[in-house]
Amino acid sequence: MEIKDFQAWVGNLPADKLKPKKVRKSIDLSLWERLYIFEVLRGLAITSRHFFGNLVGFVVPPNGKKRKIPTIYYPEEKAVMPPAYRGRPVLVANPDGTERCVACGLCEKICPAFAISIIGDERANGDRYPSSYTLDLSRCIYCGYCEEVCPKEAIVMSDEYEGLCASRRRDMLYTKEQLLRPAAQLQKRIDYVRRIYAKCNY
Amino acid sequence: MIADLTETIIKILFIFSINVGFYSPILGWVERKQSALMQDRVGANRANILNFKIIGLFHPIADAVKVLTKEDFIPEGADKFFHTLAPFISLTPAIVTFAVIPFGGNYELWGHSVKLVIADLDVGMLFIFAFASLSTYGVVLGGWSSNNNWSLLGGLRASAQMLSYEVAMGLTLIGVFMVYGSLRLTDIGMIQENFFRWGIFMQPLGFILFLTCAIAENKRAPFDQPEAESELVAGYFTEYSSMKFVMFWMGEFLEIVTISGIVTTLFFGAWHLPFVTDQMLLSWFSPAGPNGAAILAMIVNVLVFFLKVSFFIWLLMTIRWTLPRFRYDQVMRLGWKMMLPLALLNIFITGIVLLVWK
Amino acid sequence: MDIMTDSAKNLHTEKMVINMGPSHPVTHGTVKFTVTLDGETIDDLKVDIGYLHRGFEKMCENGTWEQVMPYTDRLNYVSPLINNVGYALAVEKLFGLQAPERCQYIRVILSEMARICDHYTNIAAGAMEVGAMTVFLYFVEARDLLWDLLEEVCGARVTANYVRIGGLKNDLPEGFAAGVARAFKTCRELWVDVDKLLTKNRIFIDRMRDVGTMPAQEAIAHGFTGPCLRASGVPYDVRKAQPYLVYDRMDFEIPVGETGDNFDRYLVRMEEINQSMRIVEQALAKMPAGPINLDMPGMRWQSKDDTYSRIESLITHFKTITEGIKPPAGEIYSAVEGANGELGFYLVSDGSGKPVKCRVRPPCFPLTAAMPRMMRGRLIADIVPTFDMINMIGGECDR
Repeated sequence: MEIKDFQAWVGNLPADKLKPKKVRKSIDLSLWERLYIFEVLRGLAITSRHFFGNLVGFVVPPNGKKRKIPTIYYPEEKAVMPPAYRGRPVLVANPDGTERCVACGLCEKICPAFAISIIGDERANGDRYPSSYTLDLSRCIYCGYCEEVCPKEAIVMSDEYEGLCASRRRDMLYTKEQLLRPAAQLQKRIDYVRRIYAKCNY
Repeated sequence: MIADLTETIIKILFIFSINVGFYSPILGWVERKQSALMQDRVGANRANILNFKIIGLFHPIADAVKVLTKEDFIPEGADKFFHTLAPFISLTPAIVTFAVIPFGGNYELWGHSVKLVIADLDVGMLFIFAFASLSTYGVVLGGWSSNNNWSLLGGLRASAQMLSYEVAMGLTLIGVFMVYGSLRLTDIGMIQENFFRWGIFMQPLGFILFLTCAIAENKRAPFDQPEAESELVAGYFTEYSSMKFVMFWMGEFLEIVTISGIVTTLFFGAWHLPFVTDQMLLSWFSPAGPNGAAILAMIVNVLVFFLKVSFFIWLLMTIRWTLPRFRYDQVMRLGWKMMLPLALLNIFITGIVLLVWK
Repeated sequence: MDIMTDSAKNLHTEKMVINMGPSHPVTHGTVKFTVTLDGETIDDLKVDIGYLHRGFEKMCENGTWEQVMPYTDRLNYVSPLINNVGYALAVEKLFGLQAPERCQYIRVILSEMARICDHYTNIAAGAMEVGAMTVFLYFVEARDLLWDLLEEVCGARVTANYVRIGGLKNDLPEGFAAGVARAFKTCRELWVDVDKLLTKNRIFIDRMRDVGTMPAQEAIAHGFTGPCLRASGVPYDVRKAQPYLVYDRMDFEIPVGETGDNFDRYLVRMEEINQSMRIVEQALAKMPAGPINLDMPGMRWQSKDDTYSRIESLITHFKTITEGIKPPAGEIYSAVEGANGELGFYLVSDGSGKPVKCRVRPPCFPLTAAMPRMMRGRLIADIVPTFDMINMIGGECDR
């Protein structure tokens, strides 16, 4: 298809803006390349370079690394998760062990996977709290919306990425008690959340 | 008589333990680890005994335990007899062919002449061809008797491919026989004591053609159409499980060893070090007495031979993990339209050169 | 000769019908081919899609406009950020709004990185399918470097859920530009290795060239877009044809092929990786400072500072989340250049907090539909590179 036919087709587009670049031009093979053998040798050279490089990399690792290969030996070595990482959502506990959650139900409402169900109740002093907070981790899609909408910093995405599976579905229903973590343990994430949803970004 | 028998039994046991006991399990490990390193990975390293992992060397043991305890499954509608027979037909030639490949020279031990080859046939190479063709039957029978469309296609491809490449492979080696004037592999090995008479210098084209045909015979990438896992699932052994599956794999690995052995013997000086004659070796070791010198020379030669074999195994593995695979029709075209004419050309040129030389 | 044709005519032969898939090594993305074979030649091929149907469009109708965002991650799961951007742009078009400038730059950067990842995956898988396993792992290694960067930004490698209507979830982390420069250096080295291993390798060329050919006219008639259309020689790219975000400020070329076979598709994708890298570098250099979100109550969720400190903001926060943001009634079609082609969102709003209709135009659906046309009369082995190069993604095609 000619460029001008195409321009007529999509509506007048200036040709200098389009900048098509032909990629096919260089692929006619010379006799040298048609003979298989030399291209095969070149391929062998490349893969052998990686082979010997990595072999040496095991014995003499490059500076600051354990080995040249980027693989992490899980579970002996654990990956360092960036602060943005969204692991299992957990509830933040106050120092006295009670939850920060006030059972407002925003996370329940926004959850795209309908994984959260809350039953709210009132304490003797009039404070609201969730008498039951169930998170179905077999439904959770780790999108982080619950954390984003929570007005009380009561639910955050932790960096826990282990034990996210079970062999029975009912084991995946996490209760409030299983989800509560002390605030000190989650402080890094809470600070991060404050920063990324701060006014300066708006 | 007794001495000959003992010698033969020792040689058979040696080759059998090297091939089946060492190479075939270790090649599974080599294949994993080598491909991993080529691909910037680590490779299998999790099998352990008491937390000792020794870079994954326990994996062959773990594999063996696994396959031995798996269900031996024969699909409904399969021909039970041939389905069971196929892996045996496929494995036996791979084990047997090594019998005619010499892994050392002649040595005088206590007045008894020891020749390091199990069967010193005067038609050694023909014997290898004959048995290599037999393994085709294993593949074809396995594909046909499984009662599976993929297996059938794989078996058909295998039969066509192996037949075509056998022709070319036979012809490529005729040049070698013309140069050395013998079909006996020990003779060919003897002649290559002189570094400048190594096969690679006498028959460079023959070497490349033979290696290509041998890989095609062996059904490994880039010629793995019979199993082509992205097209035919697993080709002819789709319906195999447990020990029968492993027999196909062992057959394949042992064929690699055999091919490397043949290449070493025919083209790369067999058991000889470059520029070192047998006589020189014996004279170096003469302080150990005549028998001791012979034994030491024998050890060096056997080591040299198997080092060369290991190098070619490494090369074959590298080729397998580097190249994409051909399409079925392209394999046939390559076989009939390139390999065969080139092999004939090689014979022609060799003939002319030999005539002029004389 | 006569005898030969006679026997060929009279010989009783049957065509073999083979089911490729839904679970077959070549059908990544769960699809089924019913192939009628004459020997190894494909006599007829029927594509059955729908094995990954999850009711995406129906799900969207049951959630608020924001709740759709995580669902879009699961459309083309190899380049989720482009889906995010596409959906956000569509809703913003419905509102008649534009995100802040810095946000637009970040969207461009991340879309292009997602595109690179998608092309990496596609070429890598294609090479693996034709047997070159090593190439697969080189590009997966390169893709992993980019995913590490995306993880630092989005918090997840694949299920990004990063773009918001009228903004973004968060700003780029510190040291992102340096990280990109570092990753791109390794990526380029690996690109060169892969280029050397494949582009001039005759075995690979023989497998790809003149297979799955689509001439330009037919490709347009079939509704091809993206790299597959450009491989046929048509320089159609949504980024150029209808520039969105800040693509009109970027300097990049559209790679086009000639014949529209698999090899052209491969070359176009290889070149697009380079062009996308150029775009990312330009955008990083030109990116202004400033906010990344619209400060519009009722349109974008409140910042946490406001929610924690002001009762009005808290009330608005509750209202926007429980009722959803409310775009004006109307319908809109908005397209972005996805990794496989034009990714369109057709949205209908009745002024309430939920979409009435959220229809996706998946780029790979027309491509998959052209499979029988491309495959008839070819060999069974040709399905492998062709199906890979059209890059059918189940999540997007079946929704």
